[in-house]
Amino acid sequence: MSQHRVIVVGGGLAGLAASVRVAEAGLPVDLFSLVPVKRSHSVCAQGGINACNEVARQQGYSEYEHFDETIYGGDFLADQHPVLEMANWAPKIIDLLDRMGVPFNRTAEGKRDLRLFGGSLFKRTHFAGATTGQQLIYALDEQTRRYESEGKVTKYEYWEFLWPIIEEGRCVGIVAQDMRTMQVRAFRADAVIMATGGCGLVFGKSTNSIICNGAAAARCYQAGVWYGNPEMIQVHPTAIPGADKLRLMSESARGEGGRVWVPRKPGDTRAPRDIPEAERFYFLEEKYPAYGNIVPRDIATREIFDICVNQGMGVSGENQVYLDLTHKDPEYLTKKLGGILEIYEKFVGVDPRHEPMKIFPAVHYSMGGLWTQFTKGSYNPAEPRPKHKSGSPAPLGAEVGLGMQLGAINNMMTNVKGLYAFGEVNFAYHGANRLGANALLSCIFDGLFCGVSVVNYVRNDAPSKNPASDMPASAFDRVVEQENQKGQRLLATVGQGSADAATNPYIIGKELGDEMTAACTVVRTEPRLEQCLKKLGELKDRYARVRLPDDAPWSNQSFTYARAVGDMLAIADAVALGSKGRKESRGAHYRPDFPDRDDANFMKSSVARFDAATRSTTVAFEPIDASLILPTARTYGKKDVDSGAKKPAMAGAAS
Amino acid sequence: MTTATHLPPHAAEAARIAAANRARAVPGRKVYVKVLRCDGPGKPSRWETFQVTVERGSNVISMLQQIAASPVTADGRKTTPVVWDSGCLEEVCGACTMVINGKVRQSCSCLIDDYAPAEGDTITLEPMSKFPVVRDLWVDRSRLFHNLKRVKAWVPIDGTYSLGSGPTESPESQEQRYVMSTCMSCGCCLEACPQFNIEPDQSAWDTSFVGAHAINQARLFNEHETGKRLKAERLDALMSAGGINDCGNAQNCAKVCPKLIPLTESIGVIGRAVTIRAVAKFFSGR
Amino acid sequence: MASTLLLERHHFLLRRLHSLTGIAPIGVFLCVHLLTNASIVWGLLNKSKAEHGHAGVATFQHEVDFIHSLPFLIIIEVFGLWLPIAFHSILGIYYARSGRANTSRYAYQANWRYTLQRISGYVGVLFVFYHVATLRWGWTFLVPGGTKWSAEAAASTMAMVLQGGDTGLTAAGVVVSLAYMIGVSLLVFHLANGLWTAAITWGLTISVAAQKRWGQVCAALGVGLMLLAWSAVIGFATLDVKEARGTEQMLRSGHAPPPQVAEGAPTGTTSIGGGH
Repeated sequence: MSQHRVIVVGGGLAGLAASVRVAEAGLPVDLFSLVPVKRSHSVCAQGGINACNEVARQQGYSEYEHFDETIYGGDFLADQHPVLEMANWAPKIIDLLDRMGVPFNRTAEGKRDLRLFGGSLFKRTHFAGATTGQQLIYALDEQTRRYESEGKVTKYEYWEFLWPIIEEGRCVGIVAQDMRTMQVRAFRADAVIMATGGCGLVFGKSTNSIICNGAAAARCYQAGVWYGNPEMIQVHPTAIPGADKLRLMSESARGEGGRVWVPRKPGDTRAPRDIPEAERFYFLEEKYPAYGNIVPRDIATREIFDICVNQGMGVSGENQVYLDLTHKDPEYLTKKLGGILEIYEKFVGVDPRHEPMKIFPAVHYSMGGLWTQFTKGSYNPAEPRPKHKSGSPAPLGAEVGLGMQLGAINNMMTNVKGLYAFGEVNFAYHGANRLGANALLSCIFDGLFCGVSVVNYVRNDAPSKNPASDMPASAFDRVVEQENQKGQRLLATVGQGSADAATNPYIIGKELGDEMTAACTVVRTEPRLEQCLKKLGELKDRYARVRLPDDAPWSNQSFTYARAVGDMLAIADAVALGSKGRKESRGAHYRPDFPDRDDANFMKSSVARFDAATRSTTVAFEPIDASLILPTARTYGKKDVDSGAKKPAMAGAAS
Repeated sequence: MTTATHLPPHAAEAARIAAANRARAVPGRKVYVKVLRCDGPGKPSRWETFQVTVERGSNVISMLQQIAASPVTADGRKTTPVVWDSGCLEEVCGACTMVINGKVRQSCSCLIDDYAPAEGDTITLEPMSKFPVVRDLWVDRSRLFHNLKRVKAWVPIDGTYSLGSGPTESPESQEQRYVMSTCMSCGCCLEACPQFNIEPDQSAWDTSFVGAHAINQARLFNEHETGKRLKAERLDALMSAGGINDCGNAQNCAKVCPKLIPLTESIGVIGRAVTIRAVAKFFSGR
Repeated sequence: MASTLLLERHHFLLRRLHSLTGIAPIGVFLCVHLLTNASIVWGLLNKSKAEHGHAGVATFQHEVDFIHSLPFLIIIEVFGLWLPIAFHSILGIYYARSGRANTSRYAYQANWRYTLQRISGYVGVLFVFYHVATLRWGWTFLVPGGTKWSAEAAASTMAMVLQGGDTGLTAAGVVVSLAYMIGVSLLVFHLANGLWTAAITWGLTISVAAQKRWGQVCAALGVGLMLLAWSAVIGFATLDVKEARGTEQMLRSGHAPPPQVAEGAPTGTTSIGGGH
């Protein structure tokens, strides 16, 4: 049999879906993860997973509508064909997950229940309690374990990806380190799939897990992989402020009827239940009568930010607004939202069934990521649809390969041959803003659909003629040596004495997070971004002098963290430069100095490229595939509404 | 259902004590964190105490982060940052499980206000004792995942191609399975179980007690229409050495489960299933 | 090694036999045995026996006589009791060794019962051994006062065993009586709690509510057995040996026919009904 192997880096939904798909096709998989794969960040996804379904279909919804909503929601920045394919596959993916035993919520008849989610007027979100991501990843984890027990998948848990091995113009393996023994070694593979998720930690506190530092993507980036739309960072409108992280309060809280409000009188000290209806400002409902509280995330975020920061109307004068579910039946809430309400109760100590939650936006998702390619499918609205030999067209949504050509080897391949990027770590699908409950979908879709591309690449392209296993060892040893040297340099700093605030990796990391959150999230302005880039320069200088607190040759976490900080700085550069370069407002990217969308100049992907010689980043804007849906204004039916309160005189530029 | 109003008595009592402590906790106070440290497998353990500043909402994780940024003990001695395992910090990934003030739980959801409400209070952190220590508070829970393989905790689907929807399921059944399926493999049930003990010899894993989490997973998949296909194999595994019979019914598992999974109920269900299977095998030979 | 493999191969059967033997014959026997022995107290209510003197002594003697009239007593004893008890004890100790009690950290009631179940098992084995050895096998050197229990004078000799002689309760007698008190109490607990866990093991009780309800039944049974056990021990420990002897003499010489002793069982030493 074949001596080919495939490496998957990352054990979240995308990584596991890819592992299962590739292993099933008969290629052995080596799966690398920072944590036991079951603990990957996908567990944190709460709300659900979108897909067209029969109920919605019979009310006029279709896969095409789902595609349309995703493009519209993403403010026309995503390449359109892959998104079409994803929307078409969504129902198949739900069916598959259902067969894997995911406990989707059920109707009385025993069918899968649906809920309303942001960015749609149709119920198209499938859910399993309030821990849908957890339930989906468990289903894939179980299937992976099944293949593992059959010897088709080998897991390397607590192994950290350090660098891709690129030889003869293609990726032929990786260097990784065992986080326990600290052993660094090379692994050969004919294709490498990066499925390493987002980079929330670059922003310090976010809704992301502690492992989502973006270091793996940053290492690929520094090794020559392009990075697309780095500035597109989703800030989730509703998170629970906390000391160690900002915990997500799912959009489903709004989907199930949660109402966002502040007292009309700024600084009102009354308890929320003592404030009569007339004195509450339901600002989302008043400004967006059609969508109300379920406007897309970027809009909700900006409105909440505006109310608190610009208008000073935050609850108790602080940066927080009420998310109110107390008008709903507590039993019903427990049934539909039990898990997320529990999180609030557990971490704040207040029961949200009886008292409105206090929430504020937090960095949540990176739409941007490693730049990837695709091969367009057969669908072209300008031409008559290809007909089935019977003469009648196949039903649109059921057909495979309309958006992306099934099995084309470059689907979700980066600019480096043989190096793929699946899930949140790539930049496809979500454009300038991700719709709620589309992330789980894109991750699994990549694994299942583009997994086939990986298999084809390995079997039919370069690896079939010259497998990685036959390559000389020198190429691999060289990268191992490079990584060992990096490590030794860092460890050697321990002997140089204690770190001060300037050289302490934890303090550098914290300052990075604070700066990125302040400059590169909800509101971005030219001067602030300039300042941010200067600060990043300072942090890079300080990082060059970083001093570690521990040189233990075993399970050295502070070493692992300190190394990642260096890579996070590279990603931060790309985010800041992308934000600065995109002189328009689009989706999550809001520039008060350029408040309008500028399709002529910026309906383009920003592509960041890293120059290894000068260690500098350049950002270029490159055309996208927008051949299916023409851009329209993305207003979600907004109306201008006065809060009824006297606006403070210093009301900011953002309105 | 798992809400404050529906909490089982032991959890309601714990919540009540926590809330009372929280009510009297003063932000900005200094407390001591006493950590059982160990440099690696086979190395001796030692206690180190750190002084940290507690703000409203501080949890054990934020205390450990404080220590990592400035690793100096309470008596002013420079040391290395404490090593621990963590992930989501929302109590859904199970990574940050450790023994806090003598009892096992997740450290992310452990608010200092609940445990050390007064100035100068001490909170003790130890690694889980039923798994080998990697370093400090980080333990290797591979055996826990290995045991999921023993009971074939998966649905044997035909592959990842789309073959139509799965079986229908009543809302009642879904609710029941959902709770069981929220098990995050944290290992609390194993840490508290007097029958599950550390087993350094990997070859003995297959015959030592499988643990409540795996028994619960066996039940979860036995109750799924397609998962049922492997029921006989799962029960056979649980009827062999280290299976359900090794349960001593101390029932600590259900008491410490952070997700309030009815583990003892699952043990009863599997107990009944193996009894029936044994009788059926005796008479039918299959 | 070979024995470990045997245990593993027949793991399920042995585990379930262990559970089953605890209920029957051992548990059933314990109930009957305690009921019989407690007749030293509840027999007092038996007015028809009062004509011979101490009604409790007479009733107890009657019960003992009945048991000794059973055919093939030694066979019943060996296969119905001693072997099952040995099986249950040896396997029980082997199984219990796999556990590590942790009540100091997890002081939940069920955990205490788990721990106590194992302690009561260990102590129970010692107690049963002492009990059978001294009363059935005649190891009188372990009995303060050296009393040899006799089936014909069942109550009086039993009282002497517990009291340390026939001159009233001695210091050594107090020790023996207390040992009996503790021993039987632990065995009763072991049975009642064992019944509760067996119901989970066998899958009879599943839900928390069902386990609670069955727990109440087991607790009630335990309380009942405990009362019987204590009344028996206290009854014998406080029995007037002389009065008992008088009653027994009257029974032997008087209206009651002499007891029929089973073939092959040496008179005066064999009993499964009295005193063990």
